[in-house]
Amino acid sequence: MALVLNAEEEEFADSVRRFVAERSPRAKLRELMASGQPYHGDVWRQMSGGLGLSGLIIPAEYGGAEAGYRVLAVALTELGAGLVSSPLLAGTLAAGVLLRLDDKDAQGRLLPGIASGELIATLALAGDVTVRADGGTLTGEVAPVLNAAQAGVLLVPALAGGGIGVYEVEAAAAGLSVAAAPALDHSRSVGTVRLDGVAGRPLAGDAARALGFARDLANLALAAEQLGAFGAALEMTVEYAKIRAAFGRPIGAFQGVKHRLANLRTDWELAHAALLDAARAADERPGDFAAAAAVARVSVSDAYVAAATATIQLHGGIGFTWEHDAHLYYKNAISQNALFGDPRAQLDRLRTLLTAG
Amino acid sequence: MSEQSVTSFRDRARSWLAANAPRRSDAQEPDGEPQAAGVAAQREFQAKLYDAGFAGITWPKEYGGQGLTNAEQIAFGEEARGYALPTGVFFIGLGMPGPTILEMGSEAQKKRYLPKMLRGEEIWCQLFSEPAAGSDVASLTTSAVRDGDEWLLNGQKVWTSGAQWSDYGAIIARTDPTVPKHNGITMFIVDMHAPGVTVRPLKVATGSSPFNEVFFDNVRLPAGSVIGEVNNGWAAAVVMLRNERVTIGTMGSPRTSPLSYHSLSALAARLGTGADVEVARRLARLYARERSVRLFGQLLREEAMAGRDPGARGSVAKLAGAELAMSACEVAEAVLGQAVVAGGAGDPEIDAVIMAVIGSPGSSVAGGTNEIQRNIIGERVLGLAKDPGVDRGTPFNQLRVGTLNTK
Ligand SMILES: Cc1cc2nc3c(=O)[nH]c(=O)nc-3n(C[C@H](O)[C@H](O)[C@H](O)COP(=O)(O)OP(=O)(O)OC[C@H]3O[C@@H](n4cnc5c(N)ncnc54)[C@H](O)[C@@H]3O)c2cc1C
Repeated sequence: MALVLNAEEEEFADSVRRFVAERSPRAKLRELMASGQPYHGDVWRQMSGGLGLSGLIIPAEYGGAEAGYRVLAVALTELGAGLVSSPLLAGTLAAGVLLRLDDKDAQGRLLPGIASGELIATLALAGDVTVRADGGTLTGEVAPVLNAAQAGVLLVPALAGGGIGVYEVEAAAAGLSVAAAPALDHSRSVGTVRLDGVAGRPLAGDAARALGFARDLANLALAAEQLGAFGAALEMTVEYAKIRAAFGRPIGAFQGVKHRLANLRTDWELAHAALLDAARAADERPGDFAAAAAVARVSVSDAYVAAATATIQLHGGIGFTWEHDAHLYYKNAISQNALFGDPRAQLDRLRTLLTAG
Repeated sequence: MSEQSVTSFRDRARSWLAANAPRRSDAQEPDGEPQAAGVAAQREFQAKLYDAGFAGITWPKEYGGQGLTNAEQIAFGEEARGYALPTGVFFIGLGMPGPTILEMGSEAQKKRYLPKMLRGEEIWCQLFSEPAAGSDVASLTTSAVRDGDEWLLNGQKVWTSGAQWSDYGAIIARTDPTVPKHNGITMFIVDMHAPGVTVRPLKVATGSSPFNEVFFDNVRLPAGSVIGEVNNGWAAAVVMLRNERVTIGTMGSPRTSPLSYHSLSALAARLGTGADVEVARRLARLYARERSVRLFGQLLREEAMAGRDPGARGSVAKLAGAELAMSACEVAEAVLGQAVVAGGAGDPEIDAVIMAVIGSPGSSVAGGTNEIQRNIIGERVLGLAKDPGVDRGTPFNQLRVGTLNTK
């Protein structure tokens, strides 16, 4: 019921925040941009093995922390604020699908590795499913796929006969080619997956239901990351508006600046409340989760783009430079906005849910 | 507070409401003003609410309250959501002057006024705004001059909601014009039936008269009328305005309001305009916005319950609520299409929507305009520099206020 974070969740948020500040500050992202690496292996090992973030939604019997979606949202908010690059979202979505399918064998084989962070898994889902499965072999192309080039295993939704299925594909499978794409947002590594008669292992369970859940989970997870980044960009700009002076006053004293920031804070508060609700729905009200997650995503996505835009604008010339971090948030905002359904697609989804419910 | 006592309180509220309160009908409620008969019925209902132990849930027992916690208050609010409690005329008194007297009033004032307020015996209004002082209410010119133990009140207030059926008002007046404007103000209790008080209803854009202009002509305020301290009325006003924002901002609007997603989507389906994909998307966005505003209100209440003062974040709720209403108006216009031109033409549902659209801009002005809320959010929530306020240090009697002469 309650929206406010409890003491344990607050404490967890603090520990992730400290982790980000100490181990993965934004300077780390600059290193990745220079080196072309998708993420820092040591940071990922600390996040997964040390903090257990890779197993938050995975049951204890598979080596996870079984902490639930509220805790996941708390972690992703902090990671989003720091623009921390990692395969966490990819693995979380793959785990979410596996948990909703009914394939004990695949769960037993894959979930422990995802939970420990040693296995990079991803879900090859982008827009409508177009990959075709004919007699167990898969053909088609999917893009963008999170961490496609680093994944050891890919879960590939495909059309088979009149229905849909999810197939497990090894990274080394013959006929599979993966190309890393030059991501606009360096904190999110993506790639294109081409399947040319690839052998896939069909997973047992209700694939349509599992994929529906994955889309909701993507909404929750992205809303959490975006809310964190939104808050960080806004805070950075508010602090600047206190110290930058023009015409004899701090720029924050001018209403053109002050009111724009006040509007953004208002949007942030609404999106924050919607996110808390969506995370609780995932744990406690499964029937309401899809709508709650779509509301969270709709509330945050466009507003974050507006905040990132304001971050550049209200910093003036310095905000437009490569050295300043404003463009990192801007790129993150506009590219995350389009992932797993842009705002218009989300509104269409919400509208379908509302008329169905 | 124990969880068990909250549960039993909730159960009691549920069965009392089921037996005594009118349900929100699925028919829509136009937001008009109550007629005299309506006011009497509201007094009666408030008395029943009081006798059943559901008025002043968090107020201390010695002043007629129930002495319970925010948890019970929230539980009652949740149970009451499906009902249309006929208590609108008490909304101001219980939301603004009441809590302010509770916080800053004298012992005698609390004992004298609060129980009757809770029982619905006395209706209150809030007399702040003047023709020349609204957003900048500290520029007010209504004056109170000491006469022995008493005070003589002269001047004019305006936009005073509910003054026409109020018994008492909380009023701010200038008691020292020789000091800077915030320093020479005092808050008083004024008897709205006293000689020299004239109330004239003002008609608003919807055609109804929810507010008034009020004239004070040598009105005698007895000893003991000051709330707080003489010349420290600004502090009391700030307390009251903060209560007002939290009250307005977190009240939420019912599903049955003509501008709710629920009502507008049903209307769109009936008129056929919902088939347009853009209209449908705007409806979905309205749903998201309505839901997030409601959730933020819930979050603020939960934080208050956990002992965290919502402080200036009440302004976030107030601004978000006013902007929600305006975005709902835009959606309503899309849903109505050409039906808006004929002004409903006898269709009661369309009529109600049009009336609500006409009434909505008021929510961006009442209780402090959106611009003023943005100033508060910027300065008190975000900590940005204050407006330098060229008038802050100048004695009030040397200031220019109100509408300036164009010549
Ligand atoms: C329906 C309704 C009910 C009301 N009920 C009551 C009541 O019960 N009691 C009561 O005392 N008052 C009441 N009011 C009055 C209300 O509080 C005032 O109307 C409001 O504070 C604005 O003051 P004003 O009308 O003088 O407008 P002004 O202050 O003259 O404002 C005009 C415009 O200038 C803008 N502006 C002013 N100052 C600034 C600034 N510093 N920065 C940026 N923009 C600024 C305003 O935002 C507004 O857009 C009510 C008003 C309405 C509409």
